[in-house]
Amino acid sequence: MDLSPREAVPTAQGRKRKRPWLAISVLAVVFVAGGLMVAKFLTSAVDYYCNVDEIGTKSGCDVGRNIRIQGTVQAGSVEKASSGATSFIIEYHGVSMPVQVGSEPSGIFKECIPVVVRGRVAQDATGKVFEGDEVIVKHDNSYDAENKDRVEQANAEAAQCSQKG
Amino acid sequence: MLASMGVSEQTPYVIISYVVTLGGIAVFAWRMLARARKIAPQVSEEDRPWT
Amino acid sequence: MPDLSPVSIARPTGTRVSRVLGIASLVGIVWLVVFGLFLSPNDATQKAGVRILYIHVPSAWLAYLAFIVTGISSAAYLFKRTRSLTWDRIAGASAEVGVLFMGVTLVSGSLWGRISWGIYWTWDSRLTTTAFLFVTYIGYLAVRGLGGTHQQRARRSAIIALLATLEVPLVHFSVKWWRPLHQQESVAEGKLNGLMLFTLFVGIIAFTLLYVWLVLHRQRVLAMEDALDDQGLDTALAERRAEGAQI
Repeated sequence: MDLSPREAVPTAQGRKRKRPWLAISVLAVVFVAGGLMVAKFLTSAVDYYCNVDEIGTKSGCDVGRNIRIQGTVQAGSVEKASSGATSFIIEYHGVSMPVQVGSEPSGIFKECIPVVVRGRVAQDATGKVFEGDEVIVKHDNSYDAENKDRVEQANAEAAQCSQKG
Repeated sequence: MLASMGVSEQTPYVIISYVVTLGGIAVFAWRMLARARKIAPQVSEEDRPWT
Repeated sequence: MPDLSPVSIARPTGTRVSRVLGIASLVGIVWLVVFGLFLSPNDATQKAGVRILYIHVPSAWLAYLAFIVTGISSAAYLFKRTRSLTWDRIAGASAEVGVLFMGVTLVSGSLWGRISWGIYWTWDSRLTTTAFLFVTYIGYLAVRGLGGTHQQRARRSAIIALLATLEVPLVHFSVKWWRPLHQQESVAEGKLNGLMLFTLFVGIIAFTLLYVWLVLHRQRVLAMEDALDDQGLDTALAERRAEGAQI
């Protein structure tokens, strides 16, 4: 009988790379996070943008309801108060609506740029006003080099920006 | 050199996005190769058919 | 202990092909940085912000590709005639690299969102489905770590991977199905200026090479890990038998 002590072989035996508890806790977090995302998506993203011309005509785009509207900022309509409150006119397919937001929009916000505003439509004596909580600039998918030669063209485009959808 | 790319308030965001992207990939690659070096001596040649 | 030459210990997962690939991807990344940060022009509207496009789009595309490769390799494992643990390890390696690429895509995208939309995050359809895909594949990797034999791991994770692959088209078409904030694809419609398009092209080539290099190495590391596990198991069995013989 061999009584010599067992040789300590450097193997993976004691290593037990599998740590199921770690995998199980990651899975638990994944399930919770996935569920939260679905919930958030269903309550937020599917409540999709109403185009300005759909306000009051399309179901879900009603006055008083929390919605997001999409349109283009009308040229020359942006007014900023010293408090940061900003007002502008948003337009889509020839229909326009005044928007008031409490703070100055960030990002590349400017005239003639498509935006999405989160808030609600209020009806006052003068007509409908959109009370915005947040303005998000919706950049389109075309890119072009910044170039002085294009300034004229850009100005021309800006002049007709309200025609664009 | 930075002037050529027009340093603006956007520049830090651009730099951070490059650093995070390329840095993240570099860290992954480095850890992967370190792991390979660590366990390679314990693995026999026949279990490494690519060598 | 196996005899290893110093070279193979220094680069245990390297071969001539992987070395060439590694050098090529490194060169590609250098090109990408030079073109992306210095040589390409600013965008007329987005200014310097457009430079994020050159890493954001390639990393997103390669993450999708990685998840599709995971799906195909998993199917190859499940298919009896092609069943091999190599497919399972390619699937695992590709998913890891995919999660990495998707993670950096989310970070670069949120930084881009901050300078272009004005916000880091919104529950937009494209953003939400992408984040969901990211979390799904983290779950897939967790399932791989649940334990059991290599075959059990391979089978379990292959089924999950096939289900998860169905999410990839969901993310892709989310821009068309819902009205998102996220812009549509620019490349196919030719809405990129010449040098910008070229820079994006450099980014896609660089990230593709990088992806192949990473998966190649990672798959080999996983093979070594599996071999190490088997060794541990063999030793344990031998010890058991020895103990049995002593009685």
